[in-house]
Amino acid sequence: MSFLKIENVTKHFGSLVAVDGVSMSVEKGECRAVIGPNGAGKTTFFNLITGMLDLTKGRVLLEDHDLAGIKPSARVRMGMARTFQITEIFPDLTVRENIQIPVEIAAGLHLAPRVPKARRAELRARIDQLMEEGGLTRIAGRYAGELSHGDQRACEIMMALALNPRLLLLDEPTAGMGDDETHAIARLIRRIHREQNLTIVLIEHDMRVVFNLADKITVLAEGRPLAEGTPSEITANAKVQAAYLGGSA
Amino acid sequence: MTQLILFNIANGLIIGAFYALMAIGLSLIMSLSDVINFAHGGFLAIGAYIAYTLSPYIGFWGGLLVAPVLTAVLGIIVEKFLISRVYGRDPLYSLLLTFGLAFIFEDGTRMIWGAQSVPYSVPNWLMTPLSNEYFFITGYRLLMIALVALAVGGLFWMMNKTRLGLRIRAGTLDLETVSVLGVNVRVLRNLNFGIGIYLAGLAGVLAAGQLGLQPTIGASLIMPSFVAIIIGGLGSLLGTLLGGLLIGVASGITSVFLPSGTEAVMYVMMALVLLVRPQGLLGEEGRF
Amino acid sequence: MSGFDLRKQAPNAAVWLILLSMPLWIDAVGGYTQLGTQVVVMGLAAMSLNFLLGYTGVLSFGHAAYFGLGAYGVGMTIRYLVPSTGLGLLVGTGVGALAAAIIGPMIVRLRGVYFAMVTIAFAQVFYFIAFRWNSVTGGDDGLTNWTREPINFGFATLHIEKDPVTFYYFVLAIFAVAVALMALLLQSPFGRTLIAIRENERRTRFLGINVNFHIWMSWVISCTFMALSGSLYALLNNFVDPRTLYWTQSGVFVIMCVLGGMRSFWGPLVGAAIYVVLQDYLSSATPNWMSFIGLVFVVAVLFFPRGVLGIFRRKSTE
Repeated sequence: MSFLKIENVTKHFGSLVAVDGVSMSVEKGECRAVIGPNGAGKTTFFNLITGMLDLTKGRVLLEDHDLAGIKPSARVRMGMARTFQITEIFPDLTVRENIQIPVEIAAGLHLAPRVPKARRAELRARIDQLMEEGGLTRIAGRYAGELSHGDQRACEIMMALALNPRLLLLDEPTAGMGDDETHAIARLIRRIHREQNLTIVLIEHDMRVVFNLADKITVLAEGRPLAEGTPSEITANAKVQAAYLGGSA
Repeated sequence: MTQLILFNIANGLIIGAFYALMAIGLSLIMSLSDVINFAHGGFLAIGAYIAYTLSPYIGFWGGLLVAPVLTAVLGIIVEKFLISRVYGRDPLYSLLLTFGLAFIFEDGTRMIWGAQSVPYSVPNWLMTPLSNEYFFITGYRLLMIALVALAVGGLFWMMNKTRLGLRIRAGTLDLETVSVLGVNVRVLRNLNFGIGIYLAGLAGVLAAGQLGLQPTIGASLIMPSFVAIIIGGLGSLLGTLLGGLLIGVASGITSVFLPSGTEAVMYVMMALVLLVRPQGLLGEEGRF
Repeated sequence: MSGFDLRKQAPNAAVWLILLSMPLWIDAVGGYTQLGTQVVVMGLAAMSLNFLLGYTGVLSFGHAAYFGLGAYGVGMTIRYLVPSTGLGLLVGTGVGALAAAIIGPMIVRLRGVYFAMVTIAFAQVFYFIAFRWNSVTGGDDGLTNWTREPINFGFATLHIEKDPVTFYYFVLAIFAVAVALMALLLQSPFGRTLIAIRENERRTRFLGINVNFHIWMSWVISCTFMALSGSLYALLNNFVDPRTLYWTQSGVFVIMCVLGGMRSFWGPLVGAAIYVVLQDYLSSATPNWMSFIGLVFVVAVLFFPRGVLGIFRRKSTE
């Protein structure tokens, strides 16, 4: 049984076919990268997995459970957390509050009129721990909207992790970052992957990041699957060379 | 009985046409600028009063021609100096701004023209019934229907055939792309506002001859216009037209059988539409 | 996060001090006790709306309906059912809450100006019922021939029906309970989830929150407190008319929130005070008070979008 199984997933927008018959199996604990040139349908593919868009055809299965008809927020509760290409955080709240909210949600308190006394210490420790892991402790009191790009991204990733997900989907986690920031985020993802044995699917443009992190790579081109394999297999693949790596980089 | 029902259907169509004219203008502005123009009714009243003031000099037909244009000019000025300043901010602010303007307009018309209803004269031959049996069909009513049809038809032509219209339509779908393509969004929104207010002014002049003229004439038409938009579907001009006529006729028929439900019926229809088809009869999904 | 923070508590202390001492000085500054009561009632209404508007980020323009339902609820209970102020308050608040709960599912899918338009249109239904159902509601003339009744606690009777000062403190007590409840909710994990929705709906959805359900909750809570304040308003005047639920009244509640500052807890109360006093003064000073009120809207939007208390925006702590 694969942890995440994608079967023949297809999405039409009117006459435009954005994603065309993509299948993919991700094992538990795997880090999978999805790459492809601009317009390859990567983000649409992500939105199909997370339920932001409805499928035209195909199936998405999480541990053999068909996700058809399950709303995005319910998929998150099933253990699928994600980040976005353009960072989605709470800009007018402090970093600590940004982390506190998902921690309380994960504790099942999102409808609670108060935090039970017995759990206060536990939740505070959890918030501290997440901020420490994400390197956010030094900026805990700052408004998230004022942070650097890299810190905002780290904050968003830690918010997703606060939910104790079983599957983490990262949409271009290093997009628009300088070398230092890219490095820091890649290190963070690597550590999460290693230490927690978390299953990760990520879209990424930076090939150094991809080859550094991914156990396996899926290549999309014009909405269709082009190749799949380990980083070394992908580098050696002539089709990929022609369509993607050779063309631009 | 049949005659009574026909009479009320005809009445409903007329009033529905007013709703539709108002609603189409509101919907144009809402789609392109994300503004609910609460002052729309105020503009309608101003249009009517301008026609009332001018018609002794330029006659009924002159007023009909000139008043809506002057109202549109006023609208363009108000948009340029007030409303355009809150674009890009929380829509709350544009709502409050037009809300305040609605108060000022209503009070202003009362100050200038008085709180009492004033007579608005329509040429006599237009007011004579065309037949004894169908006494409710007058030339004026036919004229109104024709003018509304003409205005809506002209608007549809403009939206589909002229550059301005095509740009407005594109802007309602994706404003960012339109601005990247070099269209001046400020000017586009300004002209679009003017078009919406022109329709309000026209509705005002026509309504003055039919419903009588007092400062609250606009305030009583604006809520049904919202309902027309919700029922027809935001962003769909055809839907809005349909919505306006539909609630007009429904109110007309209801007034025969259940007079106290005359106003309520359109809200019941709205609730049903929201339950069954939240995007409105002809609206596209995901537009709101 | 814990302990007594003087900077945080100072505004609270100031507000309570002013409210508790109001009957002592309001005559001296040219007001009268009923005006003070009106400020407290309208303040509660604006703060109730702000629960949804300022803290959940949902643009309701139809809150007057629930205010009016509360007002008619209490008036009709006392007039037709039982001459009991307490029961009237319960019925008024309950009717408002029930209506909000039923209408809620039809509107929580909508956002932005569309939400505003639908809420305002729904509010008109109640206006027309009050306006048209002459035999029961009194129609345009309003619901008369009833007054607030003394409240019997068994061991003592509170005579709110005569002395305006007694009634003021009665209203203030209810205000205190309602406001404390709202503050408690806003500082709870539930309240933080609402703020999260205001800040970033998509992020909140992808934290696993059923956003529409939370907006429904916030809507019902907000409308319930709104109905409570409407009930108090009817008791204050011993009278209700359809204007309490007309759509312009909804706009007035929104401007109160903006005038005072939507992002601060007491902001709407300050806005309500400014508005009530201003309207009281203008309506006796000029026949064109409507223009001036309109001008207040325009000036507030263009020059004070953050409101009076918005100037004191909290700073981040390094």
